[in-house]
Amino acid sequence: MGEPLILAANLSVDFPVRGALGKKKKVHAVSDVSLTIEKGKTFGLVGESGCGKTTLANLLLGLVKPDAGSILFDGKEITDISQKQLKIVRRDMQMIFQDPLSSLNPRFNIFRIISEPLFIRGGYTRKQMEARVLELLELVGLPASSLHRYPSDFSGGQRQRIGIARALALNPKFLVCDEPVSALDVSVHAQILNLLMDLQKELSITYLFISHNLAVVRDICQSVAVMYLGKVVETGNAQTIFDHPVHPYTQSLLSAVLDVDADNKRERIILQGDIPSPIDLPTGCRFHTRCPNARPECAIHSPELREIESHHRAACY
Amino acid sequence: MSEKILDIKNLKVIFPASSNVIRAVEGIDLTVDKGQCVAIVGESGCGKSVTSMAIMRLLETPPALIQTDALTFDGKELTALSQKEMQNIRGRDISLIFQDALTALNPVMTIGHQLDEVYIRHEKLKKKQAKCKSVESLRLVGVPDPERRYHDYPHQLSGGLRQRVLIAMAFALNPKLMIADEPTTALDVTIQAQVLDLLKIMQKAHKTSLILITHDLSVVSYMADVVYIMYAGKIVEKSPLKPLLRAPLHPYTEGLLASVPGLSGTNGRFIQIPDAVPDPANKPEGCYFHPRCRYCTEQCKTQKPRLTEAGHGRLVRCWYPLGRKEEV
Amino acid sequence: MKDRIKDLSGFLLKIWRHPKGRVGAVLIALLIFTAILAPLIAPYDPYDVTARSEKGLAPSLSHLLGTTITTGQDIFSMLIYGTRVSLLVGVVSGLSIAFLGAILGVISGFLGKWADMLIMRLVDVMLVIPTLPLTIVLTNLFGKSYGMIIFIFTLFGWTGLARVVRSQVLIIKKSTYVKAAQLAGASDFHIMFRHILPGVSHLLIMNTALTSAGIMVAEAGLSFLGLGDPTAISWGKMLAEAQSGGALLFGHWWWILAPGIGIFVSVFAFMRLGLALEEIFNPRMRRTSSIRKLWKSMNGAYLQDVFHSMDEEPVPVLQKERVAVRE
Repeated sequence: MGEPLILAANLSVDFPVRGALGKKKKVHAVSDVSLTIEKGKTFGLVGESGCGKTTLANLLLGLVKPDAGSILFDGKEITDISQKQLKIVRRDMQMIFQDPLSSLNPRFNIFRIISEPLFIRGGYTRKQMEARVLELLELVGLPASSLHRYPSDFSGGQRQRIGIARALALNPKFLVCDEPVSALDVSVHAQILNLLMDLQKELSITYLFISHNLAVVRDICQSVAVMYLGKVVETGNAQTIFDHPVHPYTQSLLSAVLDVDADNKRERIILQGDIPSPIDLPTGCRFHTRCPNARPECAIHSPELREIESHHRAACY
Repeated sequence: MSEKILDIKNLKVIFPASSNVIRAVEGIDLTVDKGQCVAIVGESGCGKSVTSMAIMRLLETPPALIQTDALTFDGKELTALSQKEMQNIRGRDISLIFQDALTALNPVMTIGHQLDEVYIRHEKLKKKQAKCKSVESLRLVGVPDPERRYHDYPHQLSGGLRQRVLIAMAFALNPKLMIADEPTTALDVTIQAQVLDLLKIMQKAHKTSLILITHDLSVVSYMADVVYIMYAGKIVEKSPLKPLLRAPLHPYTEGLLASVPGLSGTNGRFIQIPDAVPDPANKPEGCYFHPRCRYCTEQCKTQKPRLTEAGHGRLVRCWYPLGRKEEV
Repeated sequence: MKDRIKDLSGFLLKIWRHPKGRVGAVLIALLIFTAILAPLIAPYDPYDVTARSEKGLAPSLSHLLGTTITTGQDIFSMLIYGTRVSLLVGVVSGLSIAFLGAILGVISGFLGKWADMLIMRLVDVMLVIPTLPLTIVLTNLFGKSYGMIIFIFTLFGWTGLARVVRSQVLIIKKSTYVKAAQLAGASDFHIMFRHILPGVSHLLIMNTALTSAGIMVAEAGLSFLGLGDPTAISWGKMLAEAQSGGALLFGHWWWILAPGIGIFVSVFAFMRLGLALEEIFNPRMRRTSSIRKLWKSMNGAYLQDVFHSMDEEPVPVLQKERVAVRE
């Protein structure tokens, strides 16, 4: 068990929203989530749209203040610190985004894009910035001639590399990868994922890997948390969870992943109905409305995360 | 000999631009039998969406220029029809499902109203009759509480439900052919499973032929009977499904199959195809795939391979298809 | 810095290459020249009371557009001097509207909450106020001058731009490259000046060109109504004088045509530039007509060759009928 970089405990956040008749309602984005991210490892966050994984990432990055709970980043409490202190801590955190089109300012050339974090931090001469940018370009496998070109000259995969170079500019300890390959062509996925893994080995960065593509998560992450409607339903070692998923939601997610194996047809568990709204949550266990194993007590009490085996916890009866 | 519902011969589409010509589709042949599901697989920029638009004659000319030897649908030559006749065919005999339901549906009309329009326009039904049929369609695609949902607007529905509405609209008039362009790409995994299942059921129930356009081979493996792999405007492999998955002939197909991470694990490293899809305005010399091909030879760099038969109804465009040692 | 200069010259070149842009640019340059060098170009000084000629002359070699019925001023010279007022009012108003609209739009969109509410309410209020009566009141209170006119145009003109800028700012604010900058610790200041303002610059430039065009017409209208500076020479005033001086009555069409053409040319020039900018900034705006023209200029045989090049096996003995689809 390695040293934790991030210790999040009992995080909750709600967003106020105006209901249908002007009544003030709350979107329960994240409810009582705790997790531990080890240094130098990749932590996977899996779930479908609306499950709160993006909000959770924003919480960990300090972009959103939690209503309850605490976050320890490298031993320091970051939930209640001032904006100024937060800015300093944030230099150690960065993010790469899903859409390579909108994550780069089309008016900036590549040099300006990658050097922007350096520029913001200040204290670098032009020569130093150029040297660092060239270093980063080499790191992500892009030619030095890219410096003066514009994002529109590059393909999706290349733009994602530029985004990665920018994220690495200030040598962050923590990198959130928000669906980094979902918007790219399938044949390019492997390139970017391999790059991320190589960079992790070389620079000892800790990743939070957010994805809805379970097969990818399995291969790149050591630990995983599965989220549903703002709560973690299952968490633990990635291999273990994918080999023996315990929570019915995890089981259905895994079975929904299609395989290209012509001969192996797995039993697919199709869930009934739609994902409920995070405003009007189901009572008791949030998953019970779609759960194939639902029992009467599931509608009344929400189950806690219990230890199934070492490094494997699930919230189900 | 099964009957063909669609027969395309030598379809070519170009987009003349100021300094060069973009060759979007370079002479493809495609056939769909009745009741069959044909998949066109390719990544962005390979010309698959242009092909589907060309079939429906929805490509704006200008800026596109289309030329084809034959475009036969159910025995009729589509290119010989007027726009008006084509409009009658669209929606009734051939229908199209888009990727993004939100942009395909009119945001200011209720979904019920939009469904009604389909019936009113093509079957000349009265409003009441159309409403009946619409509610029934919604029920058939599994929209819960269809009488209430009939009055909802598109943005009030989730992505999965919207896609079901699109499917309902597409199947409403019992079309002979349906073209689904990336129908599940924007959806969550569990919803994707639901929608694909629905599509499969509806297709079998109505005996509709389906052209499935996607980049996702896992979707193809679930749905398709015959697969066409497109690259840079050309068909590079055509094959029935199982042989393609078991033993791909074209290196690109091999690469695509390898990049689908199976749940069986890849031992820490993903197999990658280097570089990226070529710019349609600037294609390589010789075989279009050669810069990314592991098996590239001198011949591949200079000579364009032709589409050749490879037995069992398979076609491949490669000088050195996999599994074969001799030159084709 | 070198990058910026290269970008700027590349941009100007783009305008030159664009057919509408070239026309607009040339005409605007012509107008600016005329305005600046008016004393040198104009054969007579219309302000000089002593240099008046005979009243009501028809166009001739000595007076290219004749003279006015009322005062005997050379109409051609008045036309030339009129560019000064039009350009001054048009461009200065356009620029101040751009300035005010940009600032308020950016503040409103970026800071949000109360600033946004305040500014948007202000916009609503301004839109309700009847502009013409207010103009009459203000010019009567504070005197008729073009400074006043510019002030009034700016006062009423910023609202539309601010709204559009605000929408664009909201879009940029949500984009992930701004989020990336924020994560790296960027201050609001940095984001506003390095991302948001440049992001709306296209909008501003385009809008200024088109707004200036509109203002020139409006100015002519106000001068026609007598709300402009009575001592200055403007096209609007010329039209007013022509009407009251009996140009229609006596058939002196040249007196009406001259300022009319002046207004037309200047508005046309700015509109051409504005439309060219619109097409340059948003390539999807290129209309079908320009694409058709492009096609005509292309060699039909060349296109056929392109199609042929895609064929593979030579056509066998059986004649295949090629069905070309072109609508």
